[in-house]
Amino acid sequence: MTPPRLPFSRQPLRLIHDRIATGLITAGGVGVLLAILAIGVFLIWETLPLLAFGDEFSLSTLSPLAWGTLKAALAAMLFATPIALGAAMYSALFMSTRLRSRVKPILELMEAIPGVVVGFIAGLLLAPWVERHLASTLLVIVWLPLSAALAGGLWYLANARLRQWLPLSWAGVWLIPWLAIMVTLALWLAPLMEQAWFGGDLRRLLDQQYGLDYATRNALIVGIAMGFAVIPSIYSLAEDALADVPASLMEGAQALGASRWQALWKVALPTAGPGVFSAVMIGAGRAVGETMIVLMASGNTALFSASPFEGLRSLSASIAIELPEASPGGLTYHLLIFAALSLFIFTFLVNTLAEVVRQRLRRRYQRLGGKL
Amino acid sequence: MLALSSANPTQAPVTRFSAETCCLSINQFHLAYAGKTALRDLTLDVPRHRVTAFIGPSGCGKSTLLRAINRLHDLNESVTHHGQIQLEGQDIHASQMNVTELRRRVGMVFQTPNPFPMSIYENVAFGLRLQGRMPKRKRDDIIEWALTSAALWDEVKDRLHRSAWQLSGGQQQRLVIARTLAVQPDVLLLDEPASALDPISTLKIEELIRNLKSQLTLVLVTHNMQQAARVSDYTAFLQQGELVEYGPTDQVFTNPRLQRTENYITGRIT
Amino acid sequence: MRWSFRPSRISAMGSLLWPWLCAASVALSLLMLATLLTLLATRGLGHFWPAALEEATLHSGETVIGQPVRETPLPNTAGIERLYFTGNRDIDGASWRWVALDDIDTVAVPDDLIRLERSPWGDFIGRLEAVESEGQRFEDDAAWAFVARALTLPDSQRPNAQLQLTAANGHTITQPLSGVTLFQAPNAMSWGQKVVVWSERIWQFLSEGPRAANTGGGVWPAIFGTVLMVILMSVIVTPLGVLAAIYLNEIAHQNRLTRLVRIGVRNLAGVPSIVYGVFGLGVFVYGIGGSIDSWFFEDALPSPTFGTGGLLWASLTLALLTLPVVIVATEEGLARIPDALREGAVALGATRLEMLTRVVLPMATPAMLTGVILAVARAAGEVAPLMLVGVAKLAPQMPVDGEFPYLHLERKFMHLGYHLFDTAFHGEDVQAAIPLVFATALLLVLIVLVLNLTAIFLRHYLRRQRGNEC
Repeated sequence: MTPPRLPFSRQPLRLIHDRIATGLITAGGVGVLLAILAIGVFLIWETLPLLAFGDEFSLSTLSPLAWGTLKAALAAMLFATPIALGAAMYSALFMSTRLRSRVKPILELMEAIPGVVVGFIAGLLLAPWVERHLASTLLVIVWLPLSAALAGGLWYLANARLRQWLPLSWAGVWLIPWLAIMVTLALWLAPLMEQAWFGGDLRRLLDQQYGLDYATRNALIVGIAMGFAVIPSIYSLAEDALADVPASLMEGAQALGASRWQALWKVALPTAGPGVFSAVMIGAGRAVGETMIVLMASGNTALFSASPFEGLRSLSASIAIELPEASPGGLTYHLLIFAALSLFIFTFLVNTLAEVVRQRLRRRYQRLGGKL
Repeated sequence: MLALSSANPTQAPVTRFSAETCCLSINQFHLAYAGKTALRDLTLDVPRHRVTAFIGPSGCGKSTLLRAINRLHDLNESVTHHGQIQLEGQDIHASQMNVTELRRRVGMVFQTPNPFPMSIYENVAFGLRLQGRMPKRKRDDIIEWALTSAALWDEVKDRLHRSAWQLSGGQQQRLVIARTLAVQPDVLLLDEPASALDPISTLKIEELIRNLKSQLTLVLVTHNMQQAARVSDYTAFLQQGELVEYGPTDQVFTNPRLQRTENYITGRIT
Repeated sequence: MRWSFRPSRISAMGSLLWPWLCAASVALSLLMLATLLTLLATRGLGHFWPAALEEATLHSGETVIGQPVRETPLPNTAGIERLYFTGNRDIDGASWRWVALDDIDTVAVPDDLIRLERSPWGDFIGRLEAVESEGQRFEDDAAWAFVARALTLPDSQRPNAQLQLTAANGHTITQPLSGVTLFQAPNAMSWGQKVVVWSERIWQFLSEGPRAANTGGGVWPAIFGTVLMVILMSVIVTPLGVLAAIYLNEIAHQNRLTRLVRIGVRNLAGVPSIVYGVFGLGVFVYGIGGSIDSWFFEDALPSPTFGTGGLLWASLTLALLTLPVVIVATEEGLARIPDALREGAVALGATRLEMLTRVVLPMATPAMLTGVILAVARAAGEVAPLMLVGVAKLAPQMPVDGEFPYLHLERKFMHLGYHLFDTAFHGEDVQAAIPLVFATALLLVLIVLVLNLTAIFLRHYLRRQRGNEC
């Protein structure tokens, strides 16, 4: 069969289109990437005038704010890191895979909850409640890990049938009612303990004995709220790092007689160490930059105290409150932009470091013959 | 007709063809990937309307040479080359040569079938649509002709608008051949077209190659020497980027001039 | 020689118990999440449920009529007090009343207690004595029927009427019908009627503007503003992000520089949103906006038109904020497309543009969509940058209206997240506003969760599709 003939080809037009399109895409792409670069450039540009102000100012006006930022981030990390890492370890290495495929997305969805909402609940509900029930709160915080260990201990003592019904691989779920009961129990018993140990009013004790003031919205509240917001970031990245540890390594350790936990501690964690570390760093970056939660839950008092019961004021919250009022070109304006610059540099450095560490980890896994 | 010339006494004489019978002419072609040489001063001619096979051990450069013929290396920034390749007397690297037109005239079939995630019809029509608008009737005719030439029409004529990814491996490869045929190339380059397929599909592809000879010039890269012996008219044996021996298939396989060739064919070296 | 190994008791116990702490971490996180969502759902939706009204008679003979809200222990002595929402701000001076339980003699739930929502004084709780309209006087059931019927008519057709109302302790007032927006007798409602009223109030919440300083009414302008801004933002960010991703992945030479740029783009996703707000304020509002003002709107100066926050600058700022999200998602989609398909298209004679538009981009579309959806989800929840570039407590005008040019890019607009913040922290009667704040928070969380779930399903659909590859 002879081939049918082709029509006239629109060759020249095609090449012109291709050239124009390539030019446009290049222009657009480069433009966009330059715009992203422009953020850093703008911040530096607008900070330079500070040098012209000379003696009129000192950066010390920013220091309580910097301290506040660090304090809030530290509080959040203290709360979030153990929970997120514990959850990541359990999720990657102990949880049943079916459960993991359901639970992991749910925990990652936590990240989507807007900071406004978390801040609102923290500032308007949690803070007044904790103020009235400070002893209960502290008790619950201490009691939670103990009750978890208690659950474990009871489980080992229980009979085989119960252990089959409620296996460790599903403990992430069936511990929920257990914890709920334990928390309720603690809250119920707390007034009695407060009476017995603290003479009825913990806050008065703190005030009289230690001279500690209690502000309704303080670092403790910010720590809990911002910790809650940061947990999913740390969890997600750490879990990925731990789950990607080649199974052959874990199996090798267990074949030598190590228990699951020992294999995790001695083999998986060191291997995935960089990934876990970078997860924590990224969480810290988020904690430093979060604005709404701190705005709503910290009291916005610029103090230099180390007490968890006093308020604080962060750089980001100050920027949000004061920048709209600051007249462009004035001292406050440039100072606040400098604050924004420091936040930018800090998070950029932290994220870059985390990304570099993660790349190294990926290469290490490839050498070990693991996934990826 | 054949004109023999011996350039280098340690190498087998290079076979060249006259202008009437020669389709592709490769002259002292040299190619390197980021400085590392892949093709070394290759000179050979590919005759028209014949099947020419490139054989050789892995990494000898046969696929590289194939991809040089339709300038697929242009997509790779780290490639450097010098030397000449002529298609029907025209230098393919000349500035007047339109690369997209070159690629229409020199079609390529890859080792793993790569149909687009579209319907069978749209896969075959892809190249046609690039060429410009044509009445639907005409396009349908060309598509039917192409699928028939690729021995696939009967199997898919009822489901032209179903996804191409539903076809079996052998069918997908024939679909790829069909879509290449649809734009009426002069040359068809086949890079180990049957190595990912089962034996029956392989036989079908080989039969297809034999049938297409009358319309096109075919260049086949294969690591399967029996396939080369079955299907091709001329065979070139490459090793480490150099052309070792080139001649009519019968002669190369039954009476190779060089010891190296004989070693490879009889399996003494890889 | 043989050694026997006995692991130390403590490390053995540790090894046994630590996994439980880890399991508890997961359980705790899930518990916190569940608590948060349940709290939002119950307090948010519960607000719209027509609550029972009580009439409490105190030992002193005084009566308190209102909705019981909560009970807390007395601050300095033993005993519990109950908080009633009494409404009637024009009569009592306050809408709330704390009553010590010990002071209460009897509590009744009479059927004839009514709750009126009116402007400008907010809620009224009491009894309806009579209705006077155009010379006629209705009492009891007839009065109720009259008011109920009148409220079903649209505003223009409602008859002129005056309602005679009695509050607690015998105070009477006269309320014109025109100011009344809602009329309920919650104690007399059946469960079915309560469900109907509940849905009506939710609909009102979604479709009406705020009333009475954000203690009543709805969040419609905030929803509208948020949606409008998000649409504008998507229109800006989608082409730019896709273009940048295509450039990075398909056109630019893959070398050290492109790798650095990629890392940089990913990092930018982690930069605090307030920094973007600062950039938006400095460059867009003061910089470009100021220039536009001095070029085109000189007569309006010193009152700024574009030189202040507004819809356009807010959309641009958030577009910049979410750009990395779109770029990363699109790039992931592009990278997943095997090179064999690209080569196949080129081998057939396609130019690069044709290869991109006919083969690559159609395949990358789900990934691009995922990126845009994630961008939208992020923008809906971000408040901090908006505080600097264009959001308003109460926008005097909507950004879209009937006067040319119909879309007013320089106007300030309302945003759900900011509305939440503002109502919770700058409202006058925060106690009364809190239930609405819960409802707003619930709405915001629902929107964001739905968007994220859509993106997740898209990703799963993508992965399953890729799995069918040959």
